[in-house]
Amino acid sequence: MTRALLCGGARIPFVRSFAEYTELDTIALGVLAVRGALEKAGLRQEDVDAVIWGGVVLPPTAPNVGREIVLDLGMPARIEARTVTRACASGLQAITDAVAAVERGDADVIIAGGSDSTSNAALTMPESLIRKVGPVVMGKKAGMGAYLGLATRLSLTKDLLPRQPRVAERSTGQLMGEAAEDMARRHGITREAQDALAVRSHQRAFAAWESGRFDAEVVPVTLPDGRVISRDTVLRGDTTIEALAKLRPAFGKKGEGTLTAANSTPLTDGAAAVIVASEAAAARLGLTPLAAVRSWAYVGVDPADQLLIGPALAMPKALARAGLELGDIDRVDLHEAFAAVVLCVQKALASDAFARERLGRDRAVGVIDEARLNVHGGSVALGHPFGATGARMVLTMARELHLTGAKTALLGICAAGGLGAAAVLERV
Amino acid sequence: MSDRLLALSGNSAARSLARTVGMSLPPRLERDPAPWAEAPLVGRTIQVLLGPGAALAGTLAGSLARLGAEVGVHGGDLAPFAAAGEAWARAAYTLEGEVEKRAWALLIDATGVGDVAGLRFLWEAVSPRLRGLAPSGRVVVLGRPAEAVTTPAARAARRALDGYTRSLARELGRTGATANLVTVPDGAEDRLHGVLHFLLSPRSAYVSGQPWALSDALPAAFSGARPLDGRVALVTGAARGIGEATARALAREGAKVIVHDHPSAKAEVDAIAAELRGVGVVADLATAEGRAALAAAVGPLDIVVQNAGVTRDKTLGRMPAELWDLVLAVNLDAVLDLAERLAPTLAPGGAMVCLSSIGGIGGNVGQTNYAATKAGVIGLVEAWAPVCAARGVSVSAVAPGFIETRMTAAIPFATREVARRLSNVSQGGLPEDIAEVVVFLASPAGRALTGRILRVCGGNLLGA
Repeated sequence: MTRALLCGGARIPFVRSFAEYTELDTIALGVLAVRGALEKAGLRQEDVDAVIWGGVVLPPTAPNVGREIVLDLGMPARIEARTVTRACASGLQAITDAVAAVERGDADVIIAGGSDSTSNAALTMPESLIRKVGPVVMGKKAGMGAYLGLATRLSLTKDLLPRQPRVAERSTGQLMGEAAEDMARRHGITREAQDALAVRSHQRAFAAWESGRFDAEVVPVTLPDGRVISRDTVLRGDTTIEALAKLRPAFGKKGEGTLTAANSTPLTDGAAAVIVASEAAAARLGLTPLAAVRSWAYVGVDPADQLLIGPALAMPKALARAGLELGDIDRVDLHEAFAAVVLCVQKALASDAFARERLGRDRAVGVIDEARLNVHGGSVALGHPFGATGARMVLTMARELHLTGAKTALLGICAAGGLGAAAVLERV
Repeated sequence: MSDRLLALSGNSAARSLARTVGMSLPPRLERDPAPWAEAPLVGRTIQVLLGPGAALAGTLAGSLARLGAEVGVHGGDLAPFAAAGEAWARAAYTLEGEVEKRAWALLIDATGVGDVAGLRFLWEAVSPRLRGLAPSGRVVVLGRPAEAVTTPAARAARRALDGYTRSLARELGRTGATANLVTVPDGAEDRLHGVLHFLLSPRSAYVSGQPWALSDALPAAFSGARPLDGRVALVTGAARGIGEATARALAREGAKVIVHDHPSAKAEVDAIAAELRGVGVVADLATAEGRAALAAAVGPLDIVVQNAGVTRDKTLGRMPAELWDLVLAVNLDAVLDLAERLAPTLAPGGAMVCLSSIGGIGGNVGQTNYAATKAGVIGLVEAWAPVCAARGVSVSAVAPGFIETRMTAAIPFATREVARRLSNVSQGGLPEDIAEVVVFLASPAGRALTGRILRVCGGNLLGA
């Protein structure tokens, strides 16, 4: 079996939603990232077989974002594309799908990644409106009377006001922040610990920018009005624990909340793409292999219990599939949906009781060395365009392995619906 | 048929008016129509009160963590609860002084009680915490079987738990809360998790004041979600009422249901069977031919629910022979015959659940015929249980109290109104309350109650 190699990629700067990227939808953002990936790797469009794209807030009229990117970028029409969605793990999903396809021989070169533009989320009308209007307008020929009757049956508040988009669980109605707040309470995670993690995330991401590390993986974006975005706009290099401590809690009961705007991820627009190629194709096309995906795992947990604990189950599973223990891992990259979630997952992984009851292991998976965890910051500092985050993490960690001599990296992502995702990357 | 007082209690203005005039309205019972879940107690607080020599702390700790509860512990070591809770990040803390959090349930481990002095904890630990018990909450007293000890003091102390629990159930009824006693034989602790999964959930809403004597006749088994996946179940008399609710609940938990009723109800049978993606069969169980036809039609079964039954009430002095004969034929002869035909064919892991009645336990005016048959069913269960146990099949019965069905709607108004209020919770039960218990008894967890008759009567005074 051939091995799939990660041969570089690119992302665009991540931008707080309803700001600079508002005019660019998820397809436009994806186009920028894919073009950047091709240019940075020196890969020609005609050598690409397929695009696999991850997205969460998909445009209702063009949900196959991957295909639209191919067409908008003017790539050869024969390049096929699909779009995958697995909540915040969608970007990683696209990459593991691409790896599986290459290793199975379905394709030699795939561009995999993801994007999201919460700024361009479609406002949806209540289903009651569709059910009332649909039969009259779309059904068999209706007379004037049916239209008049319809007009009298519509209620302004129930039928005609668009539904406000919320990051809420469909099955439980719980907001994601409420779920994270509840987890923080149950695991005994303090506000101080969350703020400290948030500050560290900002400092490390800022250092990565300052050192030039991110220049090689981020392509600047020229906006329609000519302005150029060259850095992530959520990032605050000068933030301090004292500044964060002043913020008011965003969720939870009055006076009890520990999550704030600063130790959670804001809504973000962005895109990231990675080039996945077979060993033969990489050699033939002169690509630079950075890393390979050694294993991955996806899990589901009860969304009514601990919505975002998934990585604590997925990461041990991916490790086991790779034949590795946590101690063998040189870098750990955990998606910072909320600083609290990272701390909860760390706590679970360090617990013998958790290992026995939930993982069927005798001993805890282990304690993650802070020096190896999210070494270039995480979603709290960089922002979190849902579909792009997984690809952003893979890109940064693949380059980290390539540049530093570190051998292995473990990725963990929590996702809506009680999902968890993990992958082990290895240096090649 | 509708219970107007209960309907009224849904109205807060009516409730406060009733309070002002010193009248109490029946409480609204919390129920759960959703399918079984692995962790039904997520978001609920359980207070565990450990008595002297309590033996079940370890078992309860593991069980409650898995069920999703936050646990407050009184009177014993917190360590097993803290350790079990850690895996699920569920809090366990020592209870101190006054009630800090509203408890969904009090779990009282009285397994170590061996004398009168030991009983004192049933007052000392429980009394101050009752005010903090949630409406529709649960009290579960855990004991050891009285017959397992011979010294008078120990046996008396164990037996005392029964009267204590029944009385507590009566006191709690006005809030909709229930109290039950679970006796766990030495070595049968592994059955407790499945029993608590049901008893601590809102599904046991109408079971109160009952002794649950766990049996170790069958090996322990448990499945928290879709417990009946892939099982084939026959429910007799399933065109309406308890039978229909049971068919629906069995299907909800994954069973393929064969819906049976009398040929006169063919339309209802077919409609329900179609809705549940099951099979409809009609047969007249009053005749041997009808029973033979039913047995031949069903194929291999895992579960049989013998629910079909009739009432033909008359005081004995005025009862004509045909009423006696019909009730005896349908409610007992047919049940015995179907058991004979089907019980030996049930697959290992299967179950037969029969419908008895509290009338068969306590007796009722005008029901000599009906009560005779319903008591007869108890005898049938006791005789079949050991025979079936050898093949891994459980046999048990449910004895409903006053349930709001077409059958009870036919009772004259005054009698019906009195019958309704006779229970601890001052209201009749719903067919779904019986259905939930039948599903539990037919599930792997219900094997712990093989050979037992479980009353589902809201703690009815009748025959108690």
